[in-house]
Amino acid sequence: MTFLTIVVRGLLRRPVRTGLTLVGISIGIAAVVALVGISRGFEQSWATGMKSRGTDVVVSNMGATLTPKPFSATVRDRIASLPQVAATCVIFVDLTSIEDSSMMVVSAREWGGFSWQNLKLISGRMPKDAMEPVVVLGQTAAEVLKKKVGDTIQIEAEELSVIGIVDGGAMVENGSVILSLPLFQKMSGNEGKINVIDLRATPGMSEDEVRRLCEQINGLIPEARAMVAGEHLGNSQAYRIISAMSWGTSLLAVIVGVLGVMNTMLMTVFERKQEICILLAIGWKRGRIMSMILWESALLGLLGGIVGVLTGSAGVHLIEKLPAIHGLLEPDLSVQLMIFSVAIAVGVGVLSGLYPAWRSSRLTPSLAMQG
Amino acid sequence: MKNVPPLSDFCASHDCVFEAKGLKKEFDDGRVQALRGVDFHIEHGEFVAIIGPSGCGKTTLLQMLGALDLPSGGILHYRGNSLPDLPDPSAYRAREIGFIFQSFHLLPTFTALENVQIPMFETEISASERNDRAIELLRSVGLEHRLHHFPSKLSGGERQRVAIARSLANGPSVLLADEPTGNLDSENTGHILELIIRLRHEQDMTLVLVTHDLNIARMASRTIQMKDGLIVSTREAPHTAN
Repeated sequence: MTFLTIVVRGLLRRPVRTGLTLVGISIGIAAVVALVGISRGFEQSWATGMKSRGTDVVVSNMGATLTPKPFSATVRDRIASLPQVAATCVIFVDLTSIEDSSMMVVSAREWGGFSWQNLKLISGRMPKDAMEPVVVLGQTAAEVLKKKVGDTIQIEAEELSVIGIVDGGAMVENGSVILSLPLFQKMSGNEGKINVIDLRATPGMSEDEVRRLCEQINGLIPEARAMVAGEHLGNSQAYRIISAMSWGTSLLAVIVGVLGVMNTMLMTVFERKQEICILLAIGWKRGRIMSMILWESALLGLLGGIVGVLTGSAGVHLIEKLPAIHGLLEPDLSVQLMIFSVAIAVGVGVLSGLYPAWRSSRLTPSLAMQG
Repeated sequence: MKNVPPLSDFCASHDCVFEAKGLKKEFDDGRVQALRGVDFHIEHGEFVAIIGPSGCGKTTLLQMLGALDLPSGGILHYRGNSLPDLPDPSAYRAREIGFIFQSFHLLPTFTALENVQIPMFETEISASERNDRAIELLRSVGLEHRLHHFPSKLSGGERQRVAIARSLANGPSVLLADEPTGNLDSENTGHILELIIRLRHEQDMTLVLVTHDLNIARMASRTIQMKDGLIVSTREAPHTAN
């Protein structure tokens, strides 16, 4: 028999209560995994999308909505001439409902701009000119919309032909409906308007130099804000709210977990009062009693964490498959997130066990003589 | 631990395990006086029975000897050291004292073998040594066939045997037994007492046993009678189980 045997037996004394506490912690940890995984995945997905387009800096005006606010296309002229800017591509990006899909990214790109270059044709062809009434679909978008080359798609009031299916090298790209910017501007009544400028910095620039370029651009254009690609999402108020809500909900779930474990461990100490006194009477040190209670609560946290990570991951994969959001989510269920979540659970266990452990160590060994 | 001179001439010339002078214990801010100035000494190897009516302070005295509680006044020495001033009372309980309780107090979720191993966690021996020693102790109390039984599957006599084996886990020099046969029938009472006395003799331990039963007290080498928190008489037995 080892000390761990004693710890495990302590938890197995009340299997139902231990089980229910485990469920409580695992729900909290599942929430952390799901919410943080989705939120971080969303951010990373955009970062990968930017990388695949070869974009170093994104100029946009992220307000309280998930899509940036439109501004004049002439803004580009004020920054394109900067010596550190190698190329620019103006874009109008929108999140809109298309046919059966409740939310789809529509990415209208400057005709001939570099943001077309990363798209690899899987089937069909690319548009012939800026005003050809056609779209190309990212492969996930085609799957979600159940479209193939030759089908039609309705955007705004226009019906456009699907002339190509492409692989954009990132979830955001593959989940998009891509068309020419002038065509979209005309269809949506946004002539002369854009809401994103993709910018490539001069090759060989360091990260610090790219940041300084952003600062320089921000001094030139009050209409929008330049951010290092991948970080631009953090400038979105809406994204920040979603992210804060994710963390807030996770924190709440963790607090509920702490209270649950603390309640269980306090009950344990209360119920095992005489047992603990006997251990003290037969020579166990108070530190060992505290250690036993802390190990029990930490083990409860560890098991809850593992179950929570598994449940959360399974839940996220199920959500991912829902037709309404299929293709829009690329959760970040990285090993780091799993380890982080289990560490939180163990932390919850240890934190929750501190007070019960302290209470247990205050018991008087002479109580062992009673009863 | 500070070594102090003996309190009496007797202990100056004898191998005293315990020595007390004016030992007091009060509860509820002095409203209850469990011990009201007790003087006694217990020699190494003695079997001392403490008798008296309920509430006379027998168990409180046992608690003081086992460092389970601190006295409110007076002096109490263990082998020339002040017990209330022990830097680590748990180490004293773990290494010097073996407790036997009336209600056995075995841990219900552990087998007989595991219960006996529990005190050994305060020593430096390995898990396999703990296991071997526990088997040996259970064999010595005649329970080698009950190693993996939980307390709920053992009879009262068997439970007390396990508790006795547990009390011997760390090779104590003193056994403190609080009504060890109080929950047993007469047949088991005889067996358990024989076992305790035999083991005490074999392992050269001092035995202090609290009991209501005069028949049990007669087996001791010395009987201390208590009443209202005081020792009212001490009687040496002419023929003892020694």
